[in-house]
Amino acid sequence: MQLKPRLAVLVSLVAASVLPVSASPDEVDDQDASYTFRNFGDSDHVHVMSHFGRYAMDLRGGTRFFLQFNHETVTVPGVEAAAGTQEAVDAITTASRPIRNGSDAFRSFSKDRNEFQGDIGNRRVKVGYYVSKESDYFAQQVRTSLNRDFFQENLNLKVGSSYGWDAIDPLQDEDTATGKDHRTTWNWNAVATQILSPTLLVRVGADLTLVHGLQHNPYRNVYAGGGPVPERHPDARTRTDAFIRISKYLKNRSSLRASYVAYRDDWGLTSHTLDGRLYQYVTEDVLVRYRYRFYTQSGADFYREDYLDPTGVDGYRTADYRLQPFRAHLFGAEIDMNLGLFRARPNVLRHLHLTLGYQRYFNSGNFSANILESGLSFTF
Amino acid sequence: MRRFLCLGLGLAALAGLAAGVAGCAAVRPYEREYLSDRIMSYEADSRSERVEQKWLEAREGSTGGAAGAGGGCACN
Repeated sequence: MQLKPRLAVLVSLVAASVLPVSASPDEVDDQDASYTFRNFGDSDHVHVMSHFGRYAMDLRGGTRFFLQFNHETVTVPGVEAAAGTQEAVDAITTASRPIRNGSDAFRSFSKDRNEFQGDIGNRRVKVGYYVSKESDYFAQQVRTSLNRDFFQENLNLKVGSSYGWDAIDPLQDEDTATGKDHRTTWNWNAVATQILSPTLLVRVGADLTLVHGLQHNPYRNVYAGGGPVPERHPDARTRTDAFIRISKYLKNRSSLRASYVAYRDDWGLTSHTLDGRLYQYVTEDVLVRYRYRFYTQSGADFYREDYLDPTGVDGYRTADYRLQPFRAHLFGAEIDMNLGLFRARPNVLRHLHLTLGYQRYFNSGNFSANILESGLSFTF
Repeated sequence: MRRFLCLGLGLAALAGLAAGVAGCAAVRPYEREYLSDRIMSYEADSRSERVEQKWLEAREGSTGGAAGAGGGCACN
């Protein structure tokens, strides 16, 4: 699974250019393949380059088969900062890294991750498998979902479940306070999608997730009681959310979408997310999307700016910025073009879709990020 | 745990409400031209949403709202 970066890129490109495909990304034809490149850069100069390939194929009897591959390279610049501070530890993805200090404090830290997942199913039943590998983390997941239409296909109900098991083997350095460990995750979800009118669609749903095992950063220290001590989070976390999404088709070939998500867990963290999107056809072949997202969360019960006691709060202590209270905003725009608009010959361009997008994310904790995305989809 | 049960019951109530609405306001297949347009499809965004969910989880303490990524749109 640990492919070299060049080989991974080559595999993605070959998959995207050789495999046959469909007409637009959401149409279900015989086969489709796509390649997407994403570049993520934040205010801490952390970069993530992601190469994402996807292939789907219809089999007999309405069965559909998906394969997806993702190769990521996370580059974190070397920093000179106190262990346990936000400046000293960062991970744009869930990938973590050892704290560097001493002689190599300014050397960039780079990490590769490869993901592979496959799903097979039809309109009613779907099963899937996911595997992810990086130098100190090996994750696997199996999942299934059941889907059924009611009332002349005006209502769709879906229930799903997944089980994940992760093996964690922290790289050993002077900041590593944890040996080999593991984490398991159970998820159950239910979604109802209802047609309300010929131009109005609503979706409601909820998740329940149970996490057990190691949930803190094994490389991170917390300043507590006047000195650095290893971070420690509870071994169990119960997470729930409920959401509603509404899509409205407007007269000028556009649509407006809005969503709200409420989240709560037993670490005392609650959050609210509002999201609005406007889709607009500029021409038959050009689609533009505008977006704004607002997010706010409370802190975890045991999060403190300063810990007076080395044992923390009820034995737990954290320097995880994700567990502090903050607000965040995200703005973005994306353009999707069918290259057939150039009327070139041969007409193979008709089967190509180009997507370009930019998003800006910033929060009240003085963090910001630019996300650039470009994608190419081939359809046959 | 009681909160989670309340959440489940709330969801069941919403599903029941949706089912009730469905029973009295059926939109026929030939009236679903707009609903089947890609700009109304939740599934058309599901791939990019999964990727986004991943990096957001690395910056924010909560997760969720993506369970619908695989749900049907009931509009075919």
